[in-house]
Order: sequence, then structure tokens, then C-alpha cells
Amino acid sequence: MDHTSTFERIVRGILIGLVLVFFLFPIFWIVLMSFQTNETILRIPPSIVFEPTLSNYSALITGRLETTAGNLDIAFMKNLGNSVFLSVASVLVSLALGIPAAYAFARFRFRLGEDIAFTLLSFRFAPPLLVLLPLSLYFKQLGLTNTYIGLIWVYQLICLPLILWIVRGYFEDISPDIEHAYRIAGNSWWQTFRKIAVPLAMPGIAAAGLLAFIFAWNNFIFALILASADKQPVTVGALAFVTASGIQYGQIAAAIVLSIAPTLALALYAQRYLVEGLSLGAVKG
Amino acid sequence: MPHHLELAAVSKSFKANKVLEDISLTADAGEIVVIFGPSGTGKTVLLRLIAGVEEPTTGKISIDDQDMADVAPEHRDVGMAFQNFALFPHLNAFENIASPLRARAQGDAQVKDGVARVARLLKIDHVLGHAPRQLSNGQKQRTALARALASSPKLLLLDDPLRNVDAKLRFEMRLELPRLLRQAKSTVLYVTQDYKEAMALADRIAVLAQGRFVQVASPEEIYRKPATVGVARLFGDPTINLAETTVGPDGAIDFAGEKVAIDKSYAALAGRPVTFGVRPEAVEMTKDKGTGLKAQVMAVTPLNERTVLLLQTSSGAELLASLPSSSAQIPRAESEVRITFNARGTHLFDRDTGATLGQGSRP
Amino acid sequence: MSSELVLKDVDKIYGAGAIHAVKDLSFTVKPGEITALLGSSGCGKTSTLRMIAGFETLTNGSITLDGRPIHALPPAQRNVAMAFETYSLYPPLTIGENISFALKAQKLGQADVGKRVRDMAEMLEIGDVLHKYPSSVSGGQQQRASLGRALVRPAGLYLLDEPMGQLEPQLRAVLRGRIKHYLREHKCTTILVTHDQTEANALADRIAVMEGGVLQQYATPAELKARPANLFVGTFIGEPPMNVFPVEVRDDGKTVNFTITGSDGQSLAYAAADLPQAVRTRLQSETALMLGVRPHAVHIGRSGLKARVVTCQWLGDQTHIATEIAGRTVVSVSHEQITAKPGETIALGIAPHDLHVFAAGTGAAIAHGAELV
Repeated sequence: MDHTSTFERIVRGILIGLVLVFFLFPIFWIVLMSFQTNETILRIPPSIVFEPTLSNYSALITGRLETTAGNLDIAFMKNLGNSVFLSVASVLVSLALGIPAAYAFARFRFRLGEDIAFTLLSFRFAPPLLVLLPLSLYFKQLGLTNTYIGLIWVYQLICLPLILWIVRGYFEDISPDIEHAYRIAGNSWWQTFRKIAVPLAMPGIAAAGLLAFIFAWNNFIFALILASADKQPVTVGALAFVTASGIQYGQIAAAIVLSIAPTLALALYAQRYLVEGLSLGAVKG
Repeated sequence: MPHHLELAAVSKSFKANKVLEDISLTADAGEIVVIFGPSGTGKTVLLRLIAGVEEPTTGKISIDDQDMADVAPEHRDVGMAFQNFALFPHLNAFENIASPLRARAQGDAQVKDGVARVARLLKIDHVLGHAPRQLSNGQKQRTALARALASSPKLLLLDDPLRNVDAKLRFEMRLELPRLLRQAKSTVLYVTQDYKEAMALADRIAVLAQGRFVQVASPEEIYRKPATVGVARLFGDPTINLAETTVGPDGAIDFAGEKVAIDKSYAALAGRPVTFGVRPEAVEMTKDKGTGLKAQVMAVTPLNERTVLLLQTSSGAELLASLPSSSAQIPRAESEVRITFNARGTHLFDRDTGATLGQGSRP
Repeated sequence: MSSELVLKDVDKIYGAGAIHAVKDLSFTVKPGEITALLGSSGCGKTSTLRMIAGFETLTNGSITLDGRPIHALPPAQRNVAMAFETYSLYPPLTIGENISFALKAQKLGQADVGKRVRDMAEMLEIGDVLHKYPSSVSGGQQQRASLGRALVRPAGLYLLDEPMGQLEPQLRAVLRGRIKHYLREHKCTTILVTHDQTEANALADRIAVMEGGVLQQYATPAELKARPANLFVGTFIGEPPMNVFPVEVRDDGKTVNFTITGSDGQSLAYAAADLPQAVRTRLQSETALMLGVRPHAVHIGRSGLKARVVTCQWLGDQTHIATEIAGRTVVSVSHEQITAKPGETIALGIAPHDLHVFAAGTGAAIAHGAELV
């Protein structure tokens, strides 16, 4: 129906407002907290009026945290660097492995193909704790504990299934005739894969890569068990703010703001790709 | 001179499903062979086998006497147009058409000339900068054809290229295609399920049914001397009238309870149970009260410049007749007419096997 | 059952005046007549059908069936039966139950219902699938079942939306004949919506040609062919389509010359006596003209336009010859089997009563044959 009453419009506005408040208020509050000292945060009743300070950020960036109990060295910037490195590297490795695999699953019917694809997906269903104990034992044996390579390897458990299943769907949506046409035009299998299949699946690859990046970035448990301080990402590093003299809320808030900033920026940027990806159908035919 | 294309006993199965069986066909250089059949008879699969994007289960495909078994699609020198056009959505029309030229490592100037040549031929030079999604259906279809023709391949595979365009465009292209294909000098395999397209374009038509060729012959022979009742039913609009009957001792046919003398040659088949076929255009009205079969005109339905009559004989048998609309003999609905059969459009088929037993010759 | 349907000044505007789908449409379907709404997609024919059926409201105007205004009534109270383009069969019912479902409201005996369903199924060649479910029969059979469900029920008006698009080509001619006979016999007032002029010509008593939401012409199939109201109708109706070329007319009192523009003086010459004075006077007053000739009226003979043969195609019951005059394609169709070699030059003759003359600018018809419009 194209007619809506004023009442309906008001109700809709209120409901949308409620949803927005529910989802955005925590972020808003965290941003406010990151500009306050622990004292102003903990004051009762809480107030929106305060004198903003950049001390939290400067503490994080310089790596020196001054508390009432004394000074503490923190490796937040190092953790941030670890997060970036681990996530980017894992996603790149996953893409390199996952795109050809997704293509194979989409285009070729081979024995046990579906079973293998499902097994890979089931890694996403299994609780990480289930594999952590054996993994940590293997890692000790192989000397991979507390190495970047070891972490990137485990991160494949997160990234690879995602990329494989999303990109596979995109490959399946490309009419095989389009690839046949390119081959008959005189191009090899590899050229066809590079020039036709991958570019046409690009919106899907971008979306999958982004999701994998976010999941990798947010991962906590693998790094907690398999790495020590100098290799840990921000998610684990934030624990350092639970100090002997109390919890450093201001720094935690600032750390959160800094650590969600990259994924948020990426998500906003890649929205375009997601939309393009969904309208791929209009391009075909 | 060896045949340009030769298929020898080619079969293709997908798991237990036999799609093509024992397909043998030759095509000479420059010949246009139309593969005709209703949908789901494996026409497209056959083209894919020749293009090399599918492999035959058994049998041999040779081009210029060279076995294609181990030759990849990109080395077969074929051009193919797909029913769904299969344009590269991320490349503009120019790059789509240029792709076979670029793959042959031609210089930019050569590519430009080559694309301009086919684009002019197909009247799409003004849309070369457009992406496929900006093209009209007709332009997409022409772009797909241009891409197939661009590298002047020796063998051209056209998979129902006019299927997805509207009736007017299809008619225009049907008139335009023979000249285009003559200029391309390629051997052409053309797949269609429109019998008019097949008759209009083919040097020879190969009729495919249930994965086998039932007849391979010139359009005229297919229409005048169909090998089976199935082939006769596939060619002609309206469809041929059929009746199960027996041939009398003098060659007369027992049609709807009356003896109808048609062609003396039918006497040789006396006593045979047959399927009698008569083309609607061979059902003629007669004014002579003494001859012919009485029939009631149930409906008059114009079909382009012809008029189709649905007739019912006194015994209840239905029959279609087709007359030129300009004819003075077109009766009104609900009127009574007398009909005769022009022997030239009559056929006899074996009632069990459906194979042809002969056709009338006296015009 | 036989009712008259009258559409008067019907308008349909979607959104806030954004899309004017149907503009000021008026026509009458006489009791027992079959009218086809013909046009390409987006011409307004489907909107019109939906307004008559009651799935769409009118922006302006009225629709009356048998003198009773129906445009404000809900669909169920309009006494209308409809066959949908998408079949809309009930999936949990068999084909037979789908058809008999339409008779539920009739309070008929078991035996009577059974007979009607069997007769309908026999006419539409679906007798052998009556016990099957829609999902297990072919598209063509579903379409015939949907048609049967609409026709079996007595109604004041039958609406058939693209009713034969999916029919098997081998069955089409017979079914057209049977359906036309059935509609006649039962005096069904019928509206048929189609984009396929072959279907419209075969079935309809009258055709309403629509384009851009506007009714272009409402006439019998023969009339549309012989006297198209404008260039659009002229080229839209007829298969193969009408040949059209721009011409200049010269009249020296003895002969009238139609010279094809840009053809190095190629012309059709007629004795002045062949064309009435009124037509000649009118042609002289016009500056830019388009000449239309149906392919069947282009005869290959000894004199006339010199044309180069492009292709010659024999289709079993007719021959299509495409020729070229000054870069323009001219098509000639014959009921005989003729052969012409590509590349050779032939002469194309056109009788004066086969000429259609249109104004080049507006496309309005000026003269048909030897008669002024």
C-alpha cells in the first residue's frame, strides 16, 4: 500500500529511534569515556558534561600508563600492529587458498567434493575451545607456539570457510557460458579464471575478505592461548588494563575506539561492494 | 576434398542419462548445417562437444581431418554465439568483440580494424562503448554474433542466437543472416527450435530427436519427404493433419469413414495399417458438389497472410486447412464445405514405426 | 451468458502522477464478442485488464458490464472469470480438481460437474493429466488447465491474460480453432490480452492496439490490416511487417510518380486514372510522405522497382524474398515456392490499391489503396 497514515509514520519513527539508540548508544558512550579520566567516569551520578582529556590516547600511544600504584608499560601500539598484521596476513593467505578452492567447488563435480566443502564449513560451527587443547599441544611439538606463522595458520580456521562459501556462491552465479565464450575466443583456462571468473566474483571476494578480516580482528581465544604478550592482538592486549590498582576504564575505552576504527572504516567503505555484489544479477544476461 | 567437420558415432552421457547417441555428421567448408529439434534434445550439448567445453563419452570429432580429442577449446579455431548471449558483463561491447582478436595476440590497430569491420556488418558501431547492461536485447544479440565472427573462425557454432529476441527482430535477422554467414565464409552449425529459421537458413537440416539424428537432408527434402511422422509434425505451421487408417485395395484411403482416392502409387500399400498425413495447405475447398468430403467449418483463424480453418467431418474427425487469405474460397464459420486433398501434400507412414512409406506426387 | 462491457474515459496514473499507464481509454465489447488488447510490454494493456478484473483502482472513468458499473466492486462481485498468465493453479489440488473448483459455487450435481470438467479437458487435450498435480505436468499443460478453469465457469466476462504463450507449437492451431469455436458457441464476451499479434488476429473479432497507454486503433483484424490508422499500427500489425520508405510524389496530370527518396530516381509510376482525384489533390498538398506496402503486395514481375536480391527463403507454404533498394530492405512474400538468386536484380511491382500513404511527421494515415482516409 502506498498510503500510510500519520500515526503509522510516528510509530515507525519511534521504533527506528529505539533501535538506533539501542545499537549506537554504547558506541557513543565509549567515545565519550575515551576522553575522560577514570575519576570522571566513575563519578556518581554520571554526567555528560566533563572536561575532555587526551591523556588516555597519549598513554596508549606512548605506551606508558601512569596509575596511582605507579607506572606501567603497556604494549598497546604493538598489539594494534599485531592485529593489523595478523588479520591482513590471514585474509591474504585465505584468499590465495580460498578463491581457487571456491572455484573448484563451484565449477567441478568431483568425488567427495560436497563432503570436503561441508567439512571446511563445519570448522565454523565447532567451538574453538574444542580444538584449542590439541592445537596447543601440536604447536608446542612443532615449535609454532607464539609465532606469527602459527597464529596465521590457526586464523585460517576462521577465514577460510567464510571465503570459500561466500565466493563459491558468487562463482556459481556466473553463467558457465560466459567462461566458455572466453575460452572459445582463444584463451587458456588460467586466463579465463583470471580475466573473467575472478573479476566477476570480485564483489563477493571483497565482501568475503572484509568479513574474514573483521572476524579475524575480533578473535580473542586463539591468540589468548597460543601467543604471549609480544605477539598478541588488541583484543587480548586490552586485558592489560585490568591492573592491580583497578580497571582503567578510560584507557579501555580509548583502546576500543582505536581498535574498532579500522574495521568500521573498512565496513563503511566496502558497503558499496556489498550492494554491487547483490545486484550482480542485473549485470548478467 | 575432406570434410571440414566430421562427427563419427559421437555419444554423450551425463551419469546414467544418455543425452546424445551415435551422432554422425559431416559438414563441408562453407556449408550451413542447421541442427533442429525441440528443446531438451541435446542440441546445445552437441555444440559444446564440438567447441570442446564438454568431452564426448565415446566417438570422434575431427576438424580438417584432425582429431580434436586432445585439442583445448582455445585451439580449435571456432567461434560460438550463445543463446543467452554470454557477454562479458564487465567489458564494454568493443572489448567483448575484441576478445578473440586480443587472444590471437593482434596489435591494437589490427584489433580496432577487426572490431570496426564486424561492428559495421552488424550495425552496432554506435554502441561499441556501451556495457552489456546498457544494450537492448537486439544489440546484445548482435554483439554476441559479432564476437563469434570477429576472428573469422573456420567453424562457427550458433546456439539458437535468435531465441531471446522479439519476433520482429528475429524476422529481420533471419533475412540478414544468410548474407552475413556467406561473407564470413565459415562452416556453420546453427541450432534452433524454430522450423522456419531452420528452413530459411540451412543448406542441410539435421533433425535431432531423443538424442539421435532422425533425418539429415535439404530443407525441401525434409518438408516434402519427411523420414518419419515425427519429422513431419515438427515442420509446418499449422501442424500436419494425421489419421490412423488403412490403405484400400485401389490405393484409396479410408478417411473419417469415407474412401478418399489420392494417389495411384498408394495402391502398392494396399491393406497396410498406416498413419495418413495431409498438410493443411494441401486441404483444398471444392465447389463441385459431386466430389470431396463434407465438413463443417468450426472456426476461422487468420494466421498472418493465410487463414486457418478448423474443420469437422460428419464422423467427428478434426482437420486443419490453411488457405491464402487473399483466396476467394474462404468460407464463413459454421458453414458447410467440401474438401479434397492435393496429393502433393499427403504422406503415408508406418503405423507402428512411424517411418515414411511414401508421399503423393501428383500435384 | 452474454454481456456488454463498456470502458469510458478510463485513466490510470501510478504514484503521484509519475506514470500515466492508461490514458483516456474508451471502448465497447459487444455481447459475445472477443476483443484482444494488443501491444508491446508497457503499453498499458495489463493495467487495463487488472482494472477490469478489479485488482487495480481507476484514477478516472468508469467500467460497466451489462449496464452495471463494476469499477468500484471487489473482484469477486464482478461476475468475471480470469485465466492468469502465470497460471495460478492451486498446487495441492489435481488438474481435475482445479478445474472443478471453479464450479463449486454453481451447486451442480456430481455427475454434471464431472461431465463439464471432462468435456473441457477433452477440448484442451488435458484429459490424460486430470489426476496429476500441477507441479508434475508441463508448462503448456498447466496453461491449458488454467484456461480450462476460467472457461468452465459461467461468467459475464472472460479475461484471458496471454492464454496461449506456452502452448506446444504442434497444438496451437487446433486449440485456437477449438477455443474460438467454444467462445462463439457459448456467446462469451471475452477480453484477451496478448503481445502476440498472431494470437490476436487468430482469435479476436476486434483488436484494440495500444501503445504508450493510448488506444491507437480499435477495429477488426481485416480492417487493421487494410486501413491502419497510423504508421505505428501499420508496421506493428502484419507479419512479416510492412515495408516502409520515404517517397516524393510527382503528378504531371497523366502519371503519378512515387519516387523513393535517396534511390537515384527509382519510382513507382501509376496512370492518373488509377488514383482518384481526391487522393491526387491531397498528395500534392503534402510535402513529406511515407509509403507502406505489405510484403504480400510486393509482386515480382517485369516492371517496377529495380531491386537486388539479398536472400530467398522457402518455408514450406510460402517464400520470403528480401531485396535491397538504395540500402533499404524490401520484403516480398509469396504463397508459391519461388527461387531467386542472391545478387540478381529483379523488378518489384505494386498495385495501386495496395499502397498505404502516411504523413512522415505525424505518421497519420493519408490514403489506403486508392481511397482517402
